[in-house]
Parts: sequence; C-alpha cells; structure tokens
Amino acid sequence: MMETDASQSFRSDDGVYDCDSGSEGFVEDSLDDELCFASGDFPKLQFRKERSKVRWIEELGMAEVLEKKGKMWITTGISRNGKTYCSIEETLYLAEIGALDVLNVDDTPLPLSDLYAKLAEDREKYGCSWESFEVYRYLKSLGYIVGRHGVAWSMKNVKNKTNADDSVGESCSIIDKGNVDYTFITDMFGNMHLGGTRPIFDVFPPNSKFRKSSSGDPSFMLCRTSGHPPSRQEIEDIETCCGRIPLKLYVVEHGRVSFLSFTKVELPALP
Amino acid sequence: MAPRWKGETAEAKEPMSVIVSKLQTSLIESNAQGLLSGCAVLLEALPEQTELLYRACIGRPLITAEKDKKQWHQLSFEEALYLCCVLKCIKIAGENKCAKSNDELWHYMMVKRVGFPVMFKAYSHLRRKNWVVRAGSQYGVDYVAYRYHPAFVHSEYAVLALPDDEDGGSENSRLKVWSDFHCTLRLCGSVAKTLLVLHISRNGEDDVVSLSSLEHYSVEERVVTRWNPEVSRDAK
Repeated sequence: MMETDASQSFRSDDGVYDCDSGSEGFVEDSLDDELCFASGDFPKLQFRKERSKVRWIEELGMAEVLEKKGKMWITTGISRNGKTYCSIEETLYLAEIGALDVLNVDDTPLPLSDLYAKLAEDREKYGCSWESFEVYRYLKSLGYIVGRHGVAWSMKNVKNKTNADDSVGESCSIIDKGNVDYTFITDMFGNMHLGGTRPIFDVFPPNSKFRKSSSGDPSFMLCRTSGHPPSRQEIEDIETCCGRIPLKLYVVEHGRVSFLSFTKVELPALP
Repeated sequence: MAPRWKGETAEAKEPMSVIVSKLQTSLIESNAQGLLSGCAVLLEALPEQTELLYRACIGRPLITAEKDKKQWHQLSFEEALYLCCVLKCIKIAGENKCAKSNDELWHYMMVKRVGFPVMFKAYSHLRRKNWVVRAGSQYGVDYVAYRYHPAFVHSEYAVLALPDDEDGGSENSRLKVWSDFHCTLRLCGSVAKTLLVLHISRNGEDDVVSLSSLEHYSVEERVVTRWNPEVSRDAK
C-alpha cells in the first residue's frame, strides 16, 4: 500500500486460529467474513519504524503536527496556515501503529491510554466515538483515504467544496498578528447537534498521488448510525445535504461493521 | 446487478406488454369471471388464455382430472384485482355468482389481508412497468421481480413493500431494527437477488383507503446493498 515506508509487517491472526478450524463446534462461516469484520481482525497491521511528533491541543480537540516522518502525511491531517492538524481518530490511529509520538502542551508524553480516554469521553467531545474510530481504522488499514466530513483538507480546497451543508461551513482561520484563530474547529463538531444518522467521514479511494489542495470529491460520504435504522425521510434529508455524492451508512454491532447503501433507483419500464 | 438471462436473450421473445394485452383481449371476449374464495380467486380459462396466463406469469394452474379443455387457475388477490380493476378484463363473483363491485372486492381483500393496500400498490406499480411479479415468501420477502418470464431470466429483485413512517404504517412495517436488515440482506445475497424496497407513501390521502385513492399514492424505489471495502479499492 502506498503509505508503506520501511515498515514492519505484523500479521495478527496468522496461524493463531488455524488449530481451531478442526475443532468441534467451530463454525466455518466464510460468508460471514465476507460481510463484516470484527475489531482486531485486520488484514495487515503495519507498524512503523519512524515516528512523527505531534502536540495535542485541548481547546482545539486536535493535535498540531511538529515533525513529519513518512508518506502517510499526504493523506493525514488538515492544512491550516502552513501547519498540519490531526483529528482524534487520525492521532489515535497513528499512535496505535507506532508512527506517532504525542505530546501534551507542556511537552510531557501523552500515552495511548490517555488518547483512548479522550475518545471515551462523554458526548463525543472531539467528534468521534469509539465505533467511528473502529471504522476509521479499518478503512485506513485497507488503504482508503478518510477525512472528517465537511472539513476541507486545505484552505486551497475551499472553493472546490461542493458540500451544500452551510451550517457547518468552513470559517477561515486568520493569522492575526501571530495569533492563530482556531475558529475552523467548529466544522469538526458543528453538526453534532444532529442525532442518529449523520455523515461523519468523507472517503476517497487509495491514491498515492492524493493532493490535499485538490482532493476532488470523495467517492462517498459515510454516515454513522444510531441504534435504529434511519427512516426514508432521514435518508432523504442527508442526501439533500450531500448533493450528488453517494452515501453509505455503517452499522457497528459487537465490534462488527457493516456498510450499507440505500440507493434511490428507477426501475425501467420494460417493453 | 445486470439481468441474468438463461439461454437466449429476451429480444427473441414477445414483449410482456403484448402478452398481457392479448390476455386482456381474450378474457374480455369470453366474459371471464373469477370466483372469490378465501384469499384466492379461481378462474376457469380457455386454452389460449391458459397459455397467455402462463407466459405473463399470472396465477398458478390447478391440476384436476377434468377432461374439459378448460383449465382452472388460482390467482392471488393482487393478480385478480389487477386483472379486474386495472386491466378491467375479468369480473369477480362470490358463491352467489353475482359479480362484485370494485369497492366490494377492495373491502373484502383489505379485511382478509393485513396491509393489502400497500402490497397492491407495490404489485401494480411493478406490473404496470411490465415487470413480472411473483410471490416472494420463500425468500422472506413480499415479491420477487423478474424482467421477463422466470424460465428465461433469473430474478433480479427481492421486493419489500413498506408504508411510509408518517402514515403510521405499523401494520406492514419491516426492517425496523438492524438485525432485520442483516437477515434480509443475507437471505437475498445467498439467492443472488438484490433487495428492492418500495416506499409507499399516502401523500396525504385519507386513512380510509379506496381503490381510487390508491392512484395518488407514490412509490419510491430504493435498493439496499452491502458494501465490502476489501473487495474493490475503488470505494464504489
């Protein structure tokens, strides 16, 4: 995959479950595997040798990148005023695979346990739940490029944005005599007042030539879901916001993820 | 999913609309009358009508020892009502042999079958587009829809007819919880059919449904599919 530097491959499941397949009671269910994955069953976890460095900024709910190592930064983090910032899911994902050193504001190390704790905070303070992170991590491990819905990769991208959802419109950050305006962060959490089903990620296909300044439209927008399937009206409302970009929903149950589409069609009148 | 033909394509076959039209003409000419019985309508058909019913995939023939050239067929409510009230080519009577009015028939069928209005709207919506529609209970859905006679083509869609939530449609509700989706999709997938949901909306029509008010209902077609991100990396 295009993100690979000299990285160490780690196959988490190889050989571990082989002995189970012959045992009684083990149900071979290849159809199951095809449809969902369970947390931890990754095709390949690539641990990195080189570590980049970021600083977690609490007021932002994001990490500011201090040192970049490796090609993964082509597809990670948003650019603002010449700096790069990572969401909680981006930070956690990179930290999990050993590609990141995360620091506090006072330069003390921020351990993985603290990052997990941030994700666990009530009301999804940073705009991402554990389940959403599981989905993020899964798609990233397969090579997809995943961004927070409605948040431009870079300001150069703003005029290309097709997202009609103005309520979470991008506010331009201003450098005012050296003070950085963090108002752009409202986009990250802007639409959290919407419950239930709502778009959370923009997903792009794997692309080693991805450019944040001209990302183009995502392949689809990914919506998180609540305990209840959305009504037809809810789907339609989201579609109105998303314009012509296709929609997918993910359902996470017991660590298993399913991706569903509810595509409007018109069956042709036949002769 | 592209249509899957068995053998030669349907281009060589007579269009469904023509078959249905011939059936309609023949039934009118013979003053065909069906017999309402339970949840079925029995129809005695002439040989040419039997042939056309088969080709249009309407009804099921009854096997009897009768030597007479006429053949009995069993029609579902949807099929019978479609012939009677949409194609207007048969009458339907009760045991007294008197033809029932459309309203009488409608009322009778609504009482006998839960959620019949929504089901019939879905059935006639697809039939009007010349799709072949058959019962789908063996696949755990309402109908299966084919582009042509099943002998020539594999079914493409497993169909569920759902009332709109605003209509307080609790009678016919399916897919209410996520496990319903997983279950139905899995079933559809294992028989290589795509799940098609027809959202039927009352459009503000009255609670009390009549055959004519059904005309103002709208149907929105949505296909529900699973996406496997590991299969193709082009994120489609």
